[in-house]
Amino acid sequence: MEKKDIIQSFKDSLFTGLIALALFGPIVGLRTVSKGEGLFITPQWGIVFLLVGLCILGRFLININSARRTEFKIFSTLSSKLSSITEDKAKHFAITGILFAVVFPFLPFTDRYFMDVAIMILTYIMLGWGLNIVVGLAGLLDLGYVAFYAVGAYSYALIATTFGWSFWICLPLAGVFAAFFGILLGFPVLRLRGDYLAIVTLGFGEIIRIILINWYEVTNGPDGITGIPRPSFFGLPFKRSPDEGEISFHLFFNLEYSTMHRIIFLYYLILVLALITNYFTLKIRKLPVGRAWEALREDEIACKSLGVNPTNTKLTAFAIGAMFGGFAGSFFATRQAFISPESFTFIESAIIVAIVVLGGMGSQTGVVLASIFLIGITEMFRDLEQYRMIAFGGAMVLIMVFKPKGILANRKPTILMHGDKK
Amino acid sequence: MSNLLSVENLTMKFGGLTAIDNLSFDAKSNQITSIIGPNGAGKTTVFNCLTGFYKPTNGQMFLYKEDSKISLRKYTDFKIAYVAKVARTFQNIRLFPAMSVLENLLVAQHNELMVASGYSLFGLLNLKSYRDKEQLAVDKAKYWLDIIGLTHRADDNAGDLPYGDQRKLEIVRAMCIEPRLLCLDEPAAGLNPKESAELNKLLKFIKTEKQTGILLIEHDMSVVMGISDHVVVLNYGKKIFEGTANQTKNSKEVIEAYLGVDE
Repeated sequence: MEKKDIIQSFKDSLFTGLIALALFGPIVGLRTVSKGEGLFITPQWGIVFLLVGLCILGRFLININSARRTEFKIFSTLSSKLSSITEDKAKHFAITGILFAVVFPFLPFTDRYFMDVAIMILTYIMLGWGLNIVVGLAGLLDLGYVAFYAVGAYSYALIATTFGWSFWICLPLAGVFAAFFGILLGFPVLRLRGDYLAIVTLGFGEIIRIILINWYEVTNGPDGITGIPRPSFFGLPFKRSPDEGEISFHLFFNLEYSTMHRIIFLYYLILVLALITNYFTLKIRKLPVGRAWEALREDEIACKSLGVNPTNTKLTAFAIGAMFGGFAGSFFATRQAFISPESFTFIESAIIVAIVVLGGMGSQTGVVLASIFLIGITEMFRDLEQYRMIAFGGAMVLIMVFKPKGILANRKPTILMHGDKK
Repeated sequence: MSNLLSVENLTMKFGGLTAIDNLSFDAKSNQITSIIGPNGAGKTTVFNCLTGFYKPTNGQMFLYKEDSKISLRKYTDFKIAYVAKVARTFQNIRLFPAMSVLENLLVAQHNELMVASGYSLFGLLNLKSYRDKEQLAVDKAKYWLDIIGLTHRADDNAGDLPYGDQRKLEIVRAMCIEPRLLCLDEPAAGLNPKESAELNKLLKFIKTEKQTGILLIEHDMSVVMGISDHVVVLNYGKKIFEGTANQTKNSKEVIEAYLGVDE
């Protein structure tokens, strides 16, 4: 490399540092601290210089790297590793993944915290799989998916607290309600596509949240609903001292009482729900309606010219996607025992869409990888508090740089004429 | 050779612009009827009216079915293909590029398969009755792929096929709905002479073997003159000539419309 190149890239990195200084200076450098009678600004230039220095160094390395026209080994290996994940290997991954998920609660290092994170990841996987029907298969960009999650959670909570019905009756009802709302949203947006559809669904998500806040008589407004019944193990509650005439789980199985029992049960519950979602999606994708969804995503006008009814096709996609969102919502309600509109903000929708898009549109295994990656990384950096969103953003940037079409972008045909050649 | 389609006094106006002006013509089954004319003559608008994408301002279109006749005006949107069995292809190819060739042909059989799958219920239960029907649909797809010589690429993405093959695939996909009338919008556009010759063969096969009437918009005169039984010439939305291919070739009006009038 010539000296001129080095000087050039050094100048460029200094310029980058200038931009970084302009950004980080006010955002990170000036920190407001409340002391007694008011807010005071405490400068923290140390961190700013560290960040700016990192930017300059990073930019310099990238410049040198591109000037040499070869890649750093770490980038190339990472990139080739990621691109070698194909849908064929994904099958082995899926089987090992499911086995691992089944034994996970009994591994020696698994503690309460790990279980909570695992349950959260599984909830997002289920939501991702549900949204995958709408976004990945039918190609309808839905930015308000959290609305169905909320409808499911609130229907479950209201039915369970009002009528005292068991989880297994409330769950399908919550799904039906969510599907109904899916159709309700579907009708007005039938003619919309792409950006316009995204805006309307975004609005729909907000409308549901605002209704939940303001319809105080039914939803209890911002206070939320408390005392949602916990799930029971087929009639056996997870309680230390059960009520009169009731046998609780640990007494029935002669176990020492532990709060972990309920957590493990919840874990398996969401695992089964998620796997049902996955199985259903994989099945329906190979049926005519699934193929019609994908055809609709590819070309709606061609669909019409072949006699495919676009209205029914879109509405089924919305309804089925919403139904699974509703199932996930009722699981969320029973797990938390408390829900409020704050749990159903736009950021949730955005995360679910990010999972589907980063996983690779329409890829089931991709959703799993993206959920683990995104939720896991944000959890790993929980100690960084508010900066953990940077980790979230960084993870997204990494995937977009190395796999712009998503982690698993290979689509396998739903039916083969010549069988599997590989 | 019975009448298949009759268009009567069809008029289509977009605001102040009259795209089709009082057009009447007939098309017979087992015949290829070509609609030709300079650019902007209103050919594609005629197709869009016939296939339900536009609602004509005025006029009637009838499709004859054994003894009865049905009015195409009554059907819009997807029902034209589903109920009236009028299929079409597009000027710019509209395949499902990310789906396999076979899947493209199965989507064309969506409605029969949907019933066979009990609106997904039997399909989810994986009943034999559904699997048999699906196999029949695959066989039908294979039949058409054999004809256009694409069977070996059945599992490849439709978007990965060469341009000429995509054109042929779009035509056989339309044939999979078993149409009574097939409307082809410039099927030879962008094809080389060898591919055009293959296209002629395919269209002749459909005409003779499948008892399907073909309505053809085309600029490639080697295709039009080679296979048309009947030619309708449009200019500025009006019919200026109607006759056999040979008559058209020698018609003064047609030559004027294409090449201009001697001063």
